[in-house]
Amino acid sequence: MKALGIIFDGIVKRNPTFVLILGMCPTLGTTSSAMTGMSMGLATLFVLICSNVAISLIKNIVPDKVRIPVFIVVIASFVTMLQMVMQAYLPSLYATLGIFIPLIVVNCILLGRAEAFASKNGVLLSLCDGVGVGIGFTIALTILGAVREILGTGAVFGYQLYSADFGALIFVLAPGAFIVLGLLIALFNRLYAR
Amino acid sequence: MLEYLSIIFSAILVNNIVFAQFLGICPFIGVSKNLESAFGMSMAVTFVMAVATAVTWLLQHYVLLPLGLVYIQTIAFILVIAVLVQMLEIIMKKISPALYAALGVFLPLITTNCAVLGVAIIVAQKDFGLMHSVVYAVATAIGFGLALTLFAAIRTQLALSDVPRSMRGVPIALIVAGILAMAFMGFTGITIA
Amino acid sequence: MKSTMATMTVSLCGLSLLIGAALAGVDSLTREPIAKARENMRNEAIAEVLPDFDNAPSAQAIYTEDGQTIFPAFLSGRNVGAAVETYSDNGFSGRFTVLVGLDTLGCVTGYKVLSHTETPGLGERMCTWFSEAGTTHDIRGKNAPFGVRADGGDIDAITGATISSRAFLEAVNRAVETVANHIDELNEISQ
Repeated sequence: MKALGIIFDGIVKRNPTFVLILGMCPTLGTTSSAMTGMSMGLATLFVLICSNVAISLIKNIVPDKVRIPVFIVVIASFVTMLQMVMQAYLPSLYATLGIFIPLIVVNCILLGRAEAFASKNGVLLSLCDGVGVGIGFTIALTILGAVREILGTGAVFGYQLYSADFGALIFVLAPGAFIVLGLLIALFNRLYAR
Repeated sequence: MLEYLSIIFSAILVNNIVFAQFLGICPFIGVSKNLESAFGMSMAVTFVMAVATAVTWLLQHYVLLPLGLVYIQTIAFILVIAVLVQMLEIIMKKISPALYAALGVFLPLITTNCAVLGVAIIVAQKDFGLMHSVVYAVATAIGFGLALTLFAAIRTQLALSDVPRSMRGVPIALIVAGILAMAFMGFTGITIA
Repeated sequence: MKSTMATMTVSLCGLSLLIGAALAGVDSLTREPIAKARENMRNEAIAEVLPDFDNAPSAQAIYTEDGQTIFPAFLSGRNVGAAVETYSDNGFSGRFTVLVGLDTLGCVTGYKVLSHTETPGLGERMCTWFSEAGTTHDIRGKNAPFGVRADGGDIDAITGATISSRAFLEAVNRAVETVANHIDELNEISQ
């Protein structure tokens, strides 16, 4: 029951994008369509689960002073593994997400969860936290990508809803990323305040 | 000479790291509440980015490539950057307390600034020469500084205006950033030479 | 755990060893699939831009000094054309690379944009624009030199993206020129 609560908290109460406002770079940079946004979210989810579990396993044998470097190395090695596997089996997706895959290393969400949760809790709870926060991030990126894609090109996940000629291209371009994210956070604030 | 001018122009305005490449957004939003700290942060980033790019370039070309270890690029780069930032902090404290007082508080934040790692990786991907890489890094950092300073100046004004409650803080800041990004889009397609 | 010099050294060294071993392991497992995936992507692109062939063009590729690559194609020993991986530096936001298929007469058989950073929705449309069947901007079956209408050519530029269109046609012209410049080497391969 507690485990489910933690997953739910990660998705809503501690949503990394809408509440904690962390990991902005991939959030803005990879959401020009719902598909790329979701892929980026899933890649981050994978690394987050692995690093949370690994860190909660080794938390008792890591000296306090070298805690942060150890966390960074653990996260970076999972990112590197993800890079290799993606290059081997999902090369075109890897090419689309480009530099944002190696940059998962410096995504504040990962180090934040490692420091704030995984280094203080057991393996199972850390796993749940990773799943929850990761899913929260994936959902946020998918929503942002979907809104931008619908407004910009009239399509979502490749299904054309209305003619692309009526799309406002600006939403697919850089300014649209900032504006749509700003409005979504405001909407989340409004709903949450009730 | 003209080649360098073109890199500088492109990195500062056309491919601005914040508005066109979406890197370094966290400090862009986090440290832009007042002009003074925005300026300090930009100086610290410029310094670290130049040194980090030079060091990671040497690492890439004299260690990773000859040994066939390019696959550990990400982990090697982030470690080098983390160590470098720590070292800079210690050296600065010893040699120039004045500089440390001005930039010191920003240094720990820079390790997780994705712009620094991002530029190191971009430079490695594009296969620039050493000089070329450092010029690119400095110009990119100036572009970051320009974005951050402009944004901070707007935000100090914004603090005085009456914004709907759910839009206060980050949401309105993001929308302002969007409008700034639109302005920077005017530079796309302009080239020197 | 308490931080003494000993615990710090041991834990850091242990971790480095562990991670080094894990990464080397994953690398040895994925090295071959990565090479194969790259090879596949290239072969699929070549097959897409050229008519049928039965050799392995990437095994017989010619690499030019200026960074282009020519992939010659043969069907039962007879030359049926070549695909050229070429580029333009004059795109709206810098360099893009494109694979152009040419038959033995130098007419375009197809193309595929391999990497680009053009504006989504505008310059990006070059990925399909120049092969839309039955339009005046379909470059397939036509011969160089290509030019946009604004420059006195006969190809319609993408609406709102003349610079990208111009750069694209420049790359195609470059491909044709590269094959012409290396025609002797190509003939040598076929014999």
